[in-house]
Amino acid sequence: MAEEEKVTRRDFLLYAMGGWAAIGVGASLYAMYKTWEPLPEVKAQATVKFDLSEVQPGELRVVAWRGKPVFVLRKTPDMIKCPDRTVKDEYTVVIGICTHLGCIPNWEEDKKIWHCPCHGGEYDACGRNIFGPPPRPLAIPPFKIEGNTIVLGEEGPEYKKLMKG
Amino acid sequence: MEKKKGGFIQWLDERLAINALMKIMMTEYYIPKNINFLWSFGVLIMLVLVILIISGLFVLMYYKPDAKLAFDSVNKTIMMDVEYGWLFRHIHAVGASIMFLVLFVHMGRGIYYGSFKPPREIVWLTGYLLFILMAATAFTGYLLPWGQMSYWAAQTITTLFEKIPVIGPDLVIWIRGNFIVEDATLTRFFALHVVLLPLLLIVFTGIHLYAVRIVGSNNEDGIELTKEEKKTKGIPFWPVFMSKEFFVMSVFLIFFFYLVFFQFHFAMDPINFTPANYLQTPPHIYPEWYFLAFYEVLRGFFFSQNLGLIAFVLSMFVAMFLPWIDTSPIKSGNYRPLYKIAFWIFVADFVFLTVLGKLPPTGLYGWLGFIGTLIFFGFFIALPIISKIEKKQIERGGNQ
Amino acid sequence: MKDLKILAILTVIVLATYIGIEPFAKHEMHGTVPEPDYNYLDLPKVQLNGNPEEGKKLFKTNCASCHGVEADGISATMDKKTAELSFKVVPPDLSNIANIIEPHFFAAFVKDPQGTTKFPKFAMPAMSYLTEVQIGNIYAYLKSVAKPAEELTGKEILNDACTRCHSVRYQKIYAHTDKDYLNDYLGKVPPDLSLMGKAKEHEYLLTFINNPQVMLPGTSMPRLGLSEESATKVVEYLDKIADPHKEQRNKVGFWVLGYLIVLAGLTFAWKKKIWKNVH
Repeated sequence: MAEEEKVTRRDFLLYAMGGWAAIGVGASLYAMYKTWEPLPEVKAQATVKFDLSEVQPGELRVVAWRGKPVFVLRKTPDMIKCPDRTVKDEYTVVIGICTHLGCIPNWEEDKKIWHCPCHGGEYDACGRNIFGPPPRPLAIPPFKIEGNTIVLGEEGPEYKKLMKG
Repeated sequence: MEKKKGGFIQWLDERLAINALMKIMMTEYYIPKNINFLWSFGVLIMLVLVILIISGLFVLMYYKPDAKLAFDSVNKTIMMDVEYGWLFRHIHAVGASIMFLVLFVHMGRGIYYGSFKPPREIVWLTGYLLFILMAATAFTGYLLPWGQMSYWAAQTITTLFEKIPVIGPDLVIWIRGNFIVEDATLTRFFALHVVLLPLLLIVFTGIHLYAVRIVGSNNEDGIELTKEEKKTKGIPFWPVFMSKEFFVMSVFLIFFFYLVFFQFHFAMDPINFTPANYLQTPPHIYPEWYFLAFYEVLRGFFFSQNLGLIAFVLSMFVAMFLPWIDTSPIKSGNYRPLYKIAFWIFVADFVFLTVLGKLPPTGLYGWLGFIGTLIFFGFFIALPIISKIEKKQIERGGNQ
Repeated sequence: MKDLKILAILTVIVLATYIGIEPFAKHEMHGTVPEPDYNYLDLPKVQLNGNPEEGKKLFKTNCASCHGVEADGISATMDKKTAELSFKVVPPDLSNIANIIEPHFFAAFVKDPQGTTKFPKFAMPAMSYLTEVQIGNIYAYLKSVAKPAEELTGKEILNDACTRCHSVRYQKIYAHTDKDYLNDYLGKVPPDLSLMGKAKEHEYLLTFINNPQVMLPGTSMPRLGLSEESATKVVEYLDKIADPHKEQRNKVGFWVLGYLIVLAGLTFAWKKKIWKNVH
């Protein structure tokens, strides 16, 4: 009877000790996990402001946001209209990364389309995929409108409306 | 549940012989019972080594080994920008310093109790080599933050090689990869510190532990036990010896983390928070505390640079030859009154030299350093004499 | 018990070594740092009262060619490039100077910048022709536009008093004057202050700022006449930016030590249990 008692008491202590040690290991792993978070300078890149009035009608600008290219195209009246993908009535604002396998498409001025050099995918002036392997239109980044300025990286009411529609 | 566990162990055992391994390394590996907590320092060394490797890995993820980027990568990125970066850096710096405290105690135990004597010469030699490798790791590591102290410590110590006859001056340029310590020196020290030296440390630790397993641990009385005596009079490594080790490690960690969080300045000298300036030496340069005694031996022969250099090299390696310097058949210092006195004088002298190494080497301190250096070597000169006396005492049947 | 005796011996040896290489050696190398003298006893103690309106006129005539007062919309006439070429240093804006430095230091400085700052090559020419009354008026004007002393932060004081020569890169603060001109002017480029709070002890910095020649004889850093309040705030700011995680470190340390003490208790209990059964 005494033998069993000794054994269980030793085991309980062993488990308590092991469990407590595991908590320490867990805390250490947490600290290690935290060290991989993006640094302050990177977190600061999370939002980027851009003045839309700088862009001439028909002009394409590429804005860097979180390391990615964002195409800002100010459409002329003769270009395709698509109210469900247009920002501030005349702008196409899309992430310039092909939805097929991630290359950056090139704007072809004469045809008014984006053409991806990797596998020939094509997108219209609204960023919708019209030819080739891309499965989806170019993605619209979260944005907010503040007067003439667009803030990339923040979800404003205009963005939410586009996403719903 | 029991059956499943037994089944899995059986499955592993058929492939890795883990039952036999457990018996040999743990449950039927017997440690003498007459040991004290100084015998726990080997495990503490391994604990600190693991802590250094893990903390080193995490600072390595953000460190930039380039003369223009290194200082800021440590002092801005790691210390200020990375979440808990300051913690990993503190652990690494304090760990490196504490490692030598644990090493010195471990070696001191070996010297006092005669753990270097037959049949443990290989244990001693591999252990001593590990000490040298650790010193090289600390030296190469210290350059990496590229502070004023980092830079000038490397500049001074690499200059010493100039004194080697004939090849000296060219050798120094070859070591540095430049006429002065520069980016080339930084990147090669980085490679040594991060890859080669840790690999060698791990390999030789393996050999050291294998050697210990073969001959078994020494004990306070220095008396060798037979295999049967070990079983009856000894304690199994697992769970008995390890249970004490867990407690000692916990207490050690309290001490260690107290230093990491609240008392770390001794391991991060203020002078190193100024970026390296190749054209200006700080008014006081000194190595980290664990090199101070040897540094003082270098300065001890203040009247002769060459003698100082030879003494410096000798002081770092002389103890390696203890198995052949101290040949008394009596192992433990507990039974050697003369040796005991010499040992404690040596310890006091080592502390003495360490403190002097931090002080300006002029006037009285210069002479004290010289005396301290003589006592240091005096210990090793006295040992063969003490051995002879003790052997004579045994012949006369006097010493028991 | 034997182990405790050995632990005691080890503790004595380690403590002896530690005391020798830290407090004792530090004292031998650096000595004690003298107390700073915020009364600037070597300078004549003068009372500075005056008429701010008169002072503004005098300022515009005598000072605004080089010094701006942003708080009052005054820009220095001389631009950065010309200032660098002429004086090798960009003259500081004086919006808050009256609440940063001691009044009698200001008075002595305007008359004899080189002697008062203890830097023989100090760039500002001596305005020795100004009378006591005129200096009093100018000071009164500057006092009227300066932010109240209690509201001035360490960072603001540093920006006003130090950044014509010193950068603080980690805080994205850059010296107003280009490195090469500073090198010419001072003989070396002044050190970046990002880590000065860690590189030098608190007392050292206070005494150094108060009178650089005491801590570093022959240095090119001028004495600046900071009041005790300003100097204390600046050094506290330097301490804070050099060690931004101090609070977190203390907090985490407290919890880690608490955890380890419990762990030691558990391992001790387990050891006792195991060793009870040992022969």
